[in-house]
Amino acid sequence: MTVAHTTLSSMRPGLILAMLFSLLALSGCGINAIPTYEEQAKAAWSQVLNQYQRRSDLIPNLIETVKGYAAHEKDVLTSVVDARAKATSVQIPADVLTDPKAFETFQQNQAALTSALTRLLAVSESYPDLKSNQNFLALQSQLEGTENRIAVARRDYIEAVRLYNTELKTVPGRWWASWFYPDAKPMQTFTIDAESHSVPKVSFD
Amino acid sequence: MRGSLHSAGRLFVGLLFAVVAIVTAAPGAGAQDIPPLSGRVVDTAGILPADVKSRLIAQLAAFEDKSSDQLVVATIKTTGEWTIEHYANLMFRRWELGQAEENNGVLLLVSVEDRKLRIEVGYGLEGVLTDALAKLIISETIVPEFRAGDFPGGIQAGVNDIIAVLEGDSAGLMERAERYEKRRDPTDYFAIGFFALFFLFFGGMILFCILARIFGKKIGPGRYKWLGVDVSTSGSGGSSGSRSSGWSSGSSGGFSGGGGSSGGGGASGGW
Repeated sequence: MTVAHTTLSSMRPGLILAMLFSLLALSGCGINAIPTYEEQAKAAWSQVLNQYQRRSDLIPNLIETVKGYAAHEKDVLTSVVDARAKATSVQIPADVLTDPKAFETFQQNQAALTSALTRLLAVSESYPDLKSNQNFLALQSQLEGTENRIAVARRDYIEAVRLYNTELKTVPGRWWASWFYPDAKPMQTFTIDAESHSVPKVSFD
Repeated sequence: MRGSLHSAGRLFVGLLFAVVAIVTAAPGAGAQDIPPLSGRVVDTAGILPADVKSRLIAQLAAFEDKSSDQLVVATIKTTGEWTIEHYANLMFRRWELGQAEENNGVLLLVSVEDRKLRIEVGYGLEGVLTDALAKLIISETIVPEFRAGDFPGGIQAGVNDIIAVLEGDSAGLMERAERYEKRRDPTDYFAIGFFALFFLFFGGMILFCILARIFGKKIGPGRYKWLGVDVSTSGSGGSSGSRSSGWSSGSSGGFSGGGGSSGGGGASGGW
């Protein structure tokens, strides 16, 4: 078929066919794998950010409710407020995923907020009125749910980055990267301190 | 001959499974500890009497028919070294509860020896069955029954509550069901149309061959002429209807997940 084309008319249809064919063959060899995995990892990352944002949105309400019953627990309350301010005020740079330092800062800020929140909920255990407040109970369950969503989002992100980084380092992907995607850098991932096994414990009942 | 082949095949499959089991048998709770989705009620821990189980299955099936929401009850002995949250999420995703585009699945998981339970909610139902409501169902409805030692009663009451919450948002429920129907119908018509055309085409060819044999003029061994067309029926196309092909379906219980996923919504509790 292609031979007929090349002899009868100009070279062009045959050339186009050959290009189309090689494009198909290349995509079969995984030339698209790196951008695909990159997009998946980025989507997983935005889910992580989304869930952290959701958590920090819950905090003002929580603080108000706790204040009504345990106003003199000042240092615990302010530590949560400060940690939240620190976690949300730091502008997350665009290259946070490939910049180890920025990623580390992000992770530390969120971890500080997690531990401040854990302390706050631990303290609130000693206020029976607060514990039986419906608003507080609802907030508490939302916070627990959000912590769990964060854990799931982090797990998904870790898996997506593992796929992407493996593709960058192993052989066909490595060649594609050096030829077509020289800007592709391995992404940072969360250090899992037994987190895949245990979700940060928030409730103490 | 056939029988021995069959048993040899079975032996091979058995060996394969054994090898896979040995290779994947990691210490502690692994992915293989998640039981298969054998139905709407997967009672691995064996805490549900048969009548409660069949009533629950009927209730859950009726609810899915109405709303397309997939609600599944699972009981297990233990989550091993995993937290119940982690286990429930993996189980939910493995089973793909809820319809693919709606993610409208709910899993009620009870881990008997850990004295823990969880309601895991798919992405699509997080807005209706919120964490706070799930927590309320666990702590107010299920846990008191469990503390009294009544597992079937607690599970039944919990399922009733979950369905009540999902039905409470009746507008949303109708919307989900309609969207699901709309998506499902066109594909069905397409498949039916495709098969109809397929059979019309090939059935017509076969019919033509048979009719040519009867009404046509024989012009050679196995060759007939009918309505101006030469038809050769001597080949393998003639008589091959007596081959018994065993088309055995798999042993799935008629229920499977719709392809939904969960991002960790819901609530957990203990008793």
